[in-house]
Amino acid sequence: MTRFLAKRIGQALVVVALVTVIVFLLLHTVPGGPARGILGPQATAAAIAAFNHEHGFDRSLPEQYWMYVSGLLHGDLGASYTLNQSVSSLIEQRIPKTLVLTGLSTLVALLVAIPLGVWQGRRRKGLTDYFITTLVFIGYATPVFFLALILVIVFAEKIPILPVQAPQAETLAGLFADSRGLVLPILAGAIASVAVFSRYMRSAVLDNLAEDYVRTARAKGASERRVVWLHIMRNSLTPIVAMLGYQLPVLFSGALVIESVFNYPGMGLLFWNAAQTSDYPILLGAVLVIAVATVIGSLIADILQAFIDPRVRGAIK
Amino acid sequence: MNRSLRPSLRAARPLAVLGVAATLLAAGCSSGGSGTAPGDPANGGTPQQGGSVTFAMPPNATPNWIFPIATPGHTQAYNGTIRQQVFLPLYVYDGTDTSKPDVKAGAAELPKYSEDGKSVTITMKDDLTWANGEKVTARDVEFWFNLIKANKEKWATYNEGQFPDNIAKFTLVDDKTFTMDLTQAYNPDWFTANQLTRMSPMPQKAWDIQEAGGQVGDYDRTPEGAKKVFDYLIGEAGKLSEYATNPLWKVADGPFTIKEFTTTGQVTLAKNPKYTGEDAAHLDTVTLKPFTSAQAELNVLRSGGVDYGYLPALALSQQKTIESMGYKVEPWDGWAITYIPYNFNNPEMGPVFKQLYIRQAVQMSVDQDTIARVIWHDQATPGYGPVPQVPPGSYLGEKQKTNPYLFDLDKAKALLTSHGWEIQNGVATCTRPGGGDDQCGEGVEQGTQLKFQLLTESGSTETDNTMQELQSSLSKIGIALSIKSEPLNSVLDHSPVCKPEEAACSWQLSFFGTQGSWYYPAYPSGEDIFAGDAGTNLGSYSDPKADELVKASTSSTSPTAMQDYSSYLAENLPVIWMPNPAYQVSAIKKTLGGVVQDPMAGMTPQRWYLVK
Repeated sequence: MTRFLAKRIGQALVVVALVTVIVFLLLHTVPGGPARGILGPQATAAAIAAFNHEHGFDRSLPEQYWMYVSGLLHGDLGASYTLNQSVSSLIEQRIPKTLVLTGLSTLVALLVAIPLGVWQGRRRKGLTDYFITTLVFIGYATPVFFLALILVIVFAEKIPILPVQAPQAETLAGLFADSRGLVLPILAGAIASVAVFSRYMRSAVLDNLAEDYVRTARAKGASERRVVWLHIMRNSLTPIVAMLGYQLPVLFSGALVIESVFNYPGMGLLFWNAAQTSDYPILLGAVLVIAVATVIGSLIADILQAFIDPRVRGAIK
Repeated sequence: MNRSLRPSLRAARPLAVLGVAATLLAAGCSSGGSGTAPGDPANGGTPQQGGSVTFAMPPNATPNWIFPIATPGHTQAYNGTIRQQVFLPLYVYDGTDTSKPDVKAGAAELPKYSEDGKSVTITMKDDLTWANGEKVTARDVEFWFNLIKANKEKWATYNEGQFPDNIAKFTLVDDKTFTMDLTQAYNPDWFTANQLTRMSPMPQKAWDIQEAGGQVGDYDRTPEGAKKVFDYLIGEAGKLSEYATNPLWKVADGPFTIKEFTTTGQVTLAKNPKYTGEDAAHLDTVTLKPFTSAQAELNVLRSGGVDYGYLPALALSQQKTIESMGYKVEPWDGWAITYIPYNFNNPEMGPVFKQLYIRQAVQMSVDQDTIARVIWHDQATPGYGPVPQVPPGSYLGEKQKTNPYLFDLDKAKALLTSHGWEIQNGVATCTRPGGGDDQCGEGVEQGTQLKFQLLTESGSTETDNTMQELQSSLSKIGIALSIKSEPLNSVLDHSPVCKPEEAACSWQLSFFGTQGSWYYPAYPSGEDIFAGDAGTNLGSYSDPKADELVKASTSSTSPTAMQDYSSYLAENLPVIWMPNPAYQVSAIKKTLGGVVQDPMAGMTPQRWYLVK
C-alpha cells in the first residue's frame, strides 16, 4: 500500500507540473497578451509596454515560467490584474463558499440517489420505475440555468417562502446563519446529480441482482432486506465511489451557472470572469487548484474502492 | 469618469446569453405585482432625512480602488463614483449640462483663465475640511500634482503631452489659491472638463509620509520623496480588505465615508458626520451591491430587494410588471457615441474606404431609426456624428443635428453605380478604375469587389440583430458583409492601429459598442479617437481638415470650435455612425427622490433622499 501511495503521489506531482506548463504555455501564446484587455482600448503603446514590463511579459517564456514556478514554490500564486487582491486570498475566499454549495448539493444528491437507485433497481420495469425514470431524465435534461430559474419563480416569487439569492455573507458562519438562502441553490445543483447518481446506482443494482452471491445469500436464508441493503448496495456502490472521486475537481471548480443565477460569487465565476478579462494569474491559480483536486480525487477514489472491493485491494498491494 | 469604453461594463456581458431563456420565462410567468406605488417625489411627497438605499451595480462590476490616483487596472467606473463621494475631486461634471462643472459637488470655485488661455487660477472652496479638522487647501492640490508629476507613468489616465506634461509651472498663490501656467493656449472648456477634472486634493498633512508610522513632511516636493510617498500610498491602496478600517482613508472631505468595502465588491457608504460643505448627504447609508449576472439582479429587483436597479435588455418587456411593483423605469442615456471604424490601412479595402462616396453609401444604408426602435426597443439613440446626440447641447454642429445621410438605399446604390461600380451576382464590382468623378476612385483596382469583413463583439442579441440588419441593408446596394463574432477583448485585440504591411492590419470593420463605443468626458472633443495620430484612432482615419478642427477644439478659445468639428466629421464619416445604446435602463423605487441619471455615468448619491 505504501508503495502504491508513493507511486501515485509521484505521478500526481508530475501531472500537476505538466498541467502548469501546458496552461502557462497556452495562456502565453494568446496573441496580444492580456494588456489590451486589462487596460482597455484607450491605453497608449507606452502604457501597454509598461504593463508588459511590470508583469514580465517582455521576458522569454522559460524565464516567465521560472518566475511563476519559483513564486509558486514560495506559496505565492501572484496577484490578480483586475481585482486588486492576491490570487491566494481570492481562492481562499471563494473555495469555502464553493465547497459549501457543491459539497452540500452532492451530499443531498447522494442521499436521494442511492436509495432511489436501489429501489428502482429492485422494481425494474414496474410502473413506478418508468415514472421515476421519466422524472429523472427530465431533471437530467433540463439545463441547470432553466431549472434554477423555475425554482426562483416558484419558490421565491409565486410562493415566496425562500429568498431569491444565496446568503451574501463573507464568512461560513454567516452563510449558515442565513441557511434558508442556501436551499434553492443547493436544490438546483442537486437535481441534475440525482439523475446521474441514481442511474448508475440502478444499473449497478441490476447487475448485482443477477450475481451468484445474491442467490447464495438468499439460499442461505438471509432476509431480503439484508440481501439488498448489505450485500447488493455495498457492491453497487463501486461505480458511485469512482464517480465521486472524479467529482472532487467539480466540487472545487464551482458551479458557474448556479453562482451566477443566485448571486453567489464562487470559484466558477472567478474563473469565468478571469477568462473574460485575461486575468492570467487567477486562471493559473484556479487551474492549479482544480488539477490538484483532480489527482487527489482520483487517488481517494482508488483508495476508497480498495476498502469497498477486496479485488481492487488485491491489485494494488 | 475618464474617456473610455466603460471597463466595468466590459466585464458585464458574459452571462447575457444565458439570460435569454430566463427573461422570456420570467416575462411569461409574471403577472403584475401589488399595484400600489408609494409617494412619488415627482408627484409630491415629503423628503426625509436619513434612511438607507441599495443600488445595484452591473454584473461583475467589482470596485477595487479608493486612492484618488488610479493605477492601471483600477479605473472601473464605480471606483470613480465611490472615490468622489469620499475624496472630492477639484471639479465634477453632471452630464445633463456639460457646459460647466457642478461646482457644488467639487472642491474648488470655478477656474479663472487668463485672456490668452495660457494660465489658470483656481481658488479652493472656503468651507471644506478634512475629517481630521484640517482645511482643504491649495497645498493639498499641490501634493496631488507633485505625486502625479513624479509618477506619471504609473497613473492609469496619463496620456503623453496631456496632464501633467502640459503644466509648465504650478504656483501656490496663498493658502486657498494656486495658479498653473500652461505650455500652450488651451480651450478653457476643454481644459476644465478634460484635464482639471482629473485633479483631486489629497490630505497632505495626513498622507505625506514615506512609510507606515512615518512622520508627515513635505517629501512630495522632491521627485525622490514623491516617489516614496506614492509607493507607500499605492501599497496601502493595494490592501482592499482594509479600505473600511485603514486610518488613511478615514481622512475624507466628501459627503460620505467608507463603511464597508468587501473583497467581493459590496461597498457601503455612510454619511460623513464631519463633512462641512454645502452638499451634505440626506441618506444615512448607500449600499452599492454587486451582482454575478444580470439575471441575479433581475431576480432581486423583482423581489423588491434593491431601490435603484436596472432592467437587462432582454427583460424590457417586463417594464409594466416592474412599474407595478413601485419602480419608475427610465433609460439612462450615456454621454457616448457608438460607431464602426473603417480600417483605412487595410491592404485590400483601405483604398475603398478612403472614398467618401463609398462611406456615404454605407452610412445611407444604416437604418438607424429602425435599429434603435425595433432592435433596441427604443433604448438607443441614433447618432450622426462625433458628439453625443443626447442630451443636445451647445457642442452639436448644425450638420450633425440633422442627419446629413438619411437612410436611402436607392440613393446609396446610385452613388456606387455612378462611380463605376456594377452589381454582378449581387456584389458591386469596380468596372471603371481611376480618380475621375465617375470612376471608382484612386487606388481602387478594376475588378475590386465590395466584400467587407466585420468583426463584432459577441454576447448581445441586440448587437447580433443590428449587424444582421446592416448586412441585409448593405446586400441591397451590392455590398457583401461577412460577420465574425468574438468576445469584446478579442475584438479589441484584433482591431489594433496598424500599418498596411503588418499582419495585424487584416481587419476591415470592427464593432465594440454594445455598451457604447466611446464614453466622453464633459467636453466631447476627438483628440483621442479621430485625430490622425490619436492612440485610439483604430482605423487610422487621416484627414488634414479634421486634424485642424480637432486641434482647434482643444486649443482655440472660439466657442464654435466644437460645432465646426462636429459638423465636419458628421459629413466626412471617419467611421460608420451607429445608434448609441443607453447606459442602462434603470428601475428606481418611486420612494427614492433626488436621482439625476448623469449621462457621464457619474452619481451624486448625497442628493438622493427617501420620501414618505
